[in-house]
Amino acid sequence: MLEYVIAGLVLGGIYAIASAGLVITYVSSGILNFAFGALAFFIARFYYYLHTQQSWAILPAAVVAIGLAGPAIGVFLYAVLFRFLRFSPPLIKVVATVGLLVAVPSLAVVIFGDQAIVSAPGLAPEPVRVFQFLGVPVTMDQIIVYICVAATVVLGAVILRYTEVGLKVRAMVDSPAMADLSGTNPGAVSVGVWAVSTFFAGLTGVLAAPIIGLDAHNFTLLIAAAFAAVVAAKLRSLPIAVGVGLLMGIATSLIQRYLPPNSNWTTEFIDAVPFIVIALVLLYNLLRYRRVDEVEGVGGALDRAITPQGESRLAGSTTNALETGSLGLVSKYAGPLVLIMAAAALPLVLQGYWVGLMAQAFAFGVIYLSWTLVTGEGGMLWLCQITFAGMGAITTAELATNHGWPVLAAVLAGGVVAAAAGLVVGLLSIRLGDLYVALVTLTFGLLIENLVFTLPAFVNQGLGLTLNRPSFATSDLAFAYVCLAAFIILALFILNFRRSTTGLAMNAVRWSEPGARMTGISVVQMKVIVAALAALVAGIGGGLLVVAQTSVAPGEFDTFLGVVWLAVLVTIGIRSTAAALIAGISFVMLPALAQSYLPSWTGNVLPIFFGLGAIAAAKYPDGTLAEQSRQLRRVLLRLAARQSAPLVLDGLPGGPAPAGAGGEGDGSNGHAGEQGGSRVVENVP
Amino acid sequence: MTQVPSDAAQSAHVLSARGVTVRYGGLMALSDVRLDVPPRSIVGLVGPNGAGKTTMLAVLSGLQRPASGRVWLRGEEVTDASPQARARRGIARTFQQPELFMGLTVREHLVLAHRVRVKRRRLWSDMVDPRSLLPPSRAENERVEGLLELLNLTRVAKAPVAALPLGVSRLVEVGRALACEPHVILLDEPLSGLDMKASENLLSVFARVAEHVERDISLLLVEHDVAAVLALSSRIFVLDFGVLIATGTPEEIRNDPAVRAAYLGDDELSGSQPPPSWGHVHGGVEA
Repeated sequence: MLEYVIAGLVLGGIYAIASAGLVITYVSSGILNFAFGALAFFIARFYYYLHTQQSWAILPAAVVAIGLAGPAIGVFLYAVLFRFLRFSPPLIKVVATVGLLVAVPSLAVVIFGDQAIVSAPGLAPEPVRVFQFLGVPVTMDQIIVYICVAATVVLGAVILRYTEVGLKVRAMVDSPAMADLSGTNPGAVSVGVWAVSTFFAGLTGVLAAPIIGLDAHNFTLLIAAAFAAVVAAKLRSLPIAVGVGLLMGIATSLIQRYLPPNSNWTTEFIDAVPFIVIALVLLYNLLRYRRVDEVEGVGGALDRAITPQGESRLAGSTTNALETGSLGLVSKYAGPLVLIMAAAALPLVLQGYWVGLMAQAFAFGVIYLSWTLVTGEGGMLWLCQITFAGMGAITTAELATNHGWPVLAAVLAGGVVAAAAGLVVGLLSIRLGDLYVALVTLTFGLLIENLVFTLPAFVNQGLGLTLNRPSFATSDLAFAYVCLAAFIILALFILNFRRSTTGLAMNAVRWSEPGARMTGISVVQMKVIVAALAALVAGIGGGLLVVAQTSVAPGEFDTFLGVVWLAVLVTIGIRSTAAALIAGISFVMLPALAQSYLPSWTGNVLPIFFGLGAIAAAKYPDGTLAEQSRQLRRVLLRLAARQSAPLVLDGLPGGPAPAGAGGEGDGSNGHAGEQGGSRVVENVP
Repeated sequence: MTQVPSDAAQSAHVLSARGVTVRYGGLMALSDVRLDVPPRSIVGLVGPNGAGKTTMLAVLSGLQRPASGRVWLRGEEVTDASPQARARRGIARTFQQPELFMGLTVREHLVLAHRVRVKRRRLWSDMVDPRSLLPPSRAENERVEGLLELLNLTRVAKAPVAALPLGVSRLVEVGRALACEPHVILLDEPLSGLDMKASENLLSVFARVAEHVERDISLLLVEHDVAAVLALSSRIFVLDFGVLIATGTPEEIRNDPAVRAAYLGDDELSGSQPPPSWGHVHGGVEA
């Protein structure tokens, strides 16, 4: 028993330090850093580079990597990115850190090389000494983890409770606005906190490296597990986060004692324990408080007043007549039509291998449409669309191969299975804040990935499942057009949905749940229907993808790969159906082009590019491509309406605009401005 | 829905509440409050800060579940009905901080509310029916255009609400409420944050709504500006610390010692000063 507790304390200690870093970042800046694991990996890889590859001694390597580079990275990220997100909505903050999560590991590969490192040294001198404690062997690495945890807890408590810096941080937790007005410089506090947070990331990374190796995926998974402690702490309580982190490590270790050893499923279940904890904590909070929202109980009236609620949300632009009404149908749909025609021509002009890739690209376009629905229309950031695609893929392969279903019927059945799962996730996330929705969907994806996708029937001894294409479309060319046809049908459905009364109602729910309820709209129905529809689309896309590939491999639908998919779409445009098609083509064709015609290192530049694109969502919530398109549309509108004078709203009851509505600095694209005391709306027909 | 069992008088009211009690932990927000809104009337609900006015509106609209008490709409009990169910039965409300849909235009707010109330089927059928791309029906257009005209919103009908000033936003909320074809509209501090001109405009709109809308609509007005409430309302309810301390006509409320004590404090009441200048109580704007 004791050996399990001692081993569990190591893992728990790493969880505790990571959760401490996550909590202090969240309380000081409102950002739950999804890239914490990626940063931990980067700093650990730097330490490995200094200590192992450059033969530096442990102490100078640790001081430079953890003590200097870590905080410097934090300060740099704050200066170039996070300070601009202080008043951004949760979705933007999540997407920005998701962009970092995608970009940073690839940056590490570009800088330090892509060498696979299974065994990495920690902070203990090698060979690592082993001591006996009550008859249980304890390594020097483990002792260092215990010391670090103790130091974190004691120093954290002393600093937060007894120092002026701690007082300022706690003041910012309670009310950023009032702390600001009381003379506290929020920027100075935040930059310090970011430095400390990335220090913790580095420490976590170096301490964890001997256990999990230097693999970016393992690091991200480890930190995702630490989210359980952060969720239990309601994102804010440092002592609870550290305590739950430690307990979770011990519990995980003890559970191993009672599960059958040498079983693959045991390993997967152990990996899933933190995500089960997240699910249970959220379920408990939902049952007890009926709603779990990251903004509840935080700040006062002033904080709420200065929090933007307008268009700065992700994909917050509108389809209102102001922007599109004057252009007419031809101008409005000319771009997408040209794009569809160009995409349809590509399989004809390409040959062989590239035609097969086009089929996959169109299938990816379908999967991307699911985000267009759930995030672009529904305003909910779901991180498990790849899981729904995986469900659709596995169901399709299983039904078509082992049960003799016609392939396209199996694809539809895969969509239905995914929709059922989407319904469940939708129901669970109805009363959650934006940040918790992202966490729940990430947790759902990791649980399904660990507990379902690894079942022997699907893994098939590592071979996965294979299937044939439908008889009428066996060639790559024919099936590419099947996928393109599916994309067009679903894109038209989404366009119709957007203009329908249901689309209006969904838009209403997204912006104001109380307002929607008092208009007679059921928030539950709206959220659930969009969730199920999005999962249906992702499932169909996943089914089409595996038919295009004629196989589904184990591990193909990794949850964190889905985050890369999301980064690609966010870069191009989360709300546009045309952007979904471009994202599909980009995701498939660009790496293939790089692999075929460019030096091999360029393959790692693409994730950096897409990660940066996702980070740019902070400035262009609709995606950079969509922003360019909008700029062009505005120019066309101005040309079309050059003769019309602006409308001045005199004679209407005026006064200040509602909080966050088109205000300066909130990132909105509002068209209102002040002119001599009257408000002006440009180009109102 | 159960019919009112004992108090037959409640069925004569468009909205009634009895024994409403709300607790937030140890704090009693409302204690055994009753309220009646007669048909085609403007009723005021006033009280100092923290009196429980907004909580009472939340209970009436279904956004807050009371610890005890019952609510009836046109004689039917709606205590357990959800907010959207109450909205579909005829309760509409506005919010102190306008709860608008930033992704929609002014006109779309009214269209959506109209369809939810009148053409509920379209809420679902439109999703798969390509005819949603076609122009709206004549009846819908007439209804929406009529409301836009009534509220003087025609010129900004196609503007996104994110670009509108507070006064216009409040009008959009009123328009959305009217498009729901309600029997009663609950107005939560509609004048707060508005200057004098904007307040006057909004009050004149309320008067127009009461006079010109073809169906019977009552207004329940929660407002800090007591002078405005006294001027508009036919009956007023006064809350203080969650307790109903007075009810009556504006004249009765103006002279009620308990109300004056609640607003001015016992010490000042003991003097022989004239009745308070209600328009300036708690920083309200005199209409």
